[in-house]
Amino acid sequence: MTARPALESTTLASEFPPGLKDFNFKVLWEFQLLGINFEITKLTVLLWVSVLALVVFFSLAVRNQKMVPGRLQFAGESAYGFVRDGMAKPMMGEEGVRFAPYLTTLFCFIIVSNWWAIIPVVQIPTTAKISLPVVLALISYVLFNWVGIRKHGVKKYFGGIFWPAGAPWWILWLLTPIEIISTLIARPVTLAVRLFANMFAGHMLLLVFTFGGVALLNSDNFVNKTFSIFSFGMAIVMTIFEFMVQIIQAYVFTILTASYLQGALAEEH
Amino acid sequence: MTELAEINGSLSAIGYGLAAIGPGVGVGMVFAAYIKSSARQPASAKMNLPYLFLGMALIEALALFGLAMGFAYT
Amino acid sequence: MVTAYATQLATVPVLRAQEEEEVPVFPVVGELIIGTLAFAVLCFILLKFVFPKMEQMYQQRVAAIEGGLAKAEAAQNEANALLEQYRMQLAEARTEASQIRDEAREEGNRILEEMRTSAREESERIVARGAEQLAVERQQLVTELRGDVGRLAVELASKVVGESLADEARRAGTVDRFLAELDGLDTAGASR
Repeated sequence: MTARPALESTTLASEFPPGLKDFNFKVLWEFQLLGINFEITKLTVLLWVSVLALVVFFSLAVRNQKMVPGRLQFAGESAYGFVRDGMAKPMMGEEGVRFAPYLTTLFCFIIVSNWWAIIPVVQIPTTAKISLPVVLALISYVLFNWVGIRKHGVKKYFGGIFWPAGAPWWILWLLTPIEIISTLIARPVTLAVRLFANMFAGHMLLLVFTFGGVALLNSDNFVNKTFSIFSFGMAIVMTIFEFMVQIIQAYVFTILTASYLQGALAEEH
Repeated sequence: MTELAEINGSLSAIGYGLAAIGPGVGVGMVFAAYIKSSARQPASAKMNLPYLFLGMALIEALALFGLAMGFAYT
Repeated sequence: MVTAYATQLATVPVLRAQEEEEVPVFPVVGELIIGTLAFAVLCFILLKFVFPKMEQMYQQRVAAIEGGLAKAEAAQNEANALLEQYRMQLAEARTEASQIRDEAREEGNRILEEMRTSAREESERIVARGAEQLAVERQQLVTELRGDVGRLAVELASKVVGESLADEARRAGTVDRFLAELDGLDTAGASR
């Protein structure tokens, strides 16, 4: 414990090593309902703002539809078309068109939630707390299991998971636990954690570079002040990188959901 | 008992460093395979793109588990 | 130091629980419920009101494009048929034109030939008439001259002889004989 005091003596910024405290926001309003504690924070507000924004955007996009689309209609339809023809159809074939609306909703919602990370002033993605990814992953989990059960029936669907088709009997002691864990446990957990961890790490990365820049700028050392330029520069580069990561994560979440749905719909799992 | 060495800082940072080795190699292999295959068959590049992201996401999840665990057990 | 660190590590979760500092890695029930609610509202509105319309628009557009394609194909076929027709007509016109040209050429040749023959005939006729006329005039001249020569010769002879030859018949015979002699000389000279 010698490095920390030395750093603190040269930096004036108290918030420099960013940590978990940066993910806890001031509680704007708190109430109890059925013994559950509800907290309204900046993230809750942002969550509803993103819902509202999407509803308004898509409502305007389908209002006054034309064969030759206007700019807004085109934007809405290209989002739908991207998911429909770029994910649902390649993964699930013609059957996938049925799921295209849900997948589009999912994709757009995740992308907007992620974008809060780099929108100036806001700069905190609602997906950087695990609750929202868990909700989305659970819905995907329930959806693909439900679809599979409805198509094959409970016995055949779970039978397909427990006894993978084409596997010899003597390997089942190894294969069945793996299959159960990977399909029924790992899938939702990885879905949620992947999205959360990417956004969390991205937000942390941006905090490190911006707070680090501020800390360096406020230090009494001239060399440190000079290096703050690099820190801010890296923050800008990372913002662009994060923009890419946010889109990729939304894409990955949606395409994994589509792939799980396809697995549930396939004849043998 | 004589003190031979002292470790400072967060143990989770070391843990994450270890956790990132495998996924780092794995993600590299996934992209290498994709680039190789699309260099041989440029027509298949678009077809394989979903699988590229699928593989990358599955492998990357491991590294991110490490990150999450690091923060969960600080 | 190592044991101290271990105890510190072991106490950390306890401390955290006491501080009640939220760790974003663990979900909070309230947030889960609010998140579910928000996403449910979004899904309800978008799936109920927005995407059916969009899908409908998609299908319409696909239908329109396919219809447009069929229409375009029909137009293409029609155009091809028309082109074929025009081509045939053009070929017909071309053969007709060549026929007409051939006919015209023949006609021209025929006319030329006719004109040539008629001109030849005319010229021959003219030449023949000229020759005839010449012959007639010559005959006339010869007759005239023969008469004149006979008279002059008789006159000359009477003058030379100094006597009138009373016997007409004899005279005519003498002159005729003389002239015949002359003619014979002439023809002999010409043949020589």
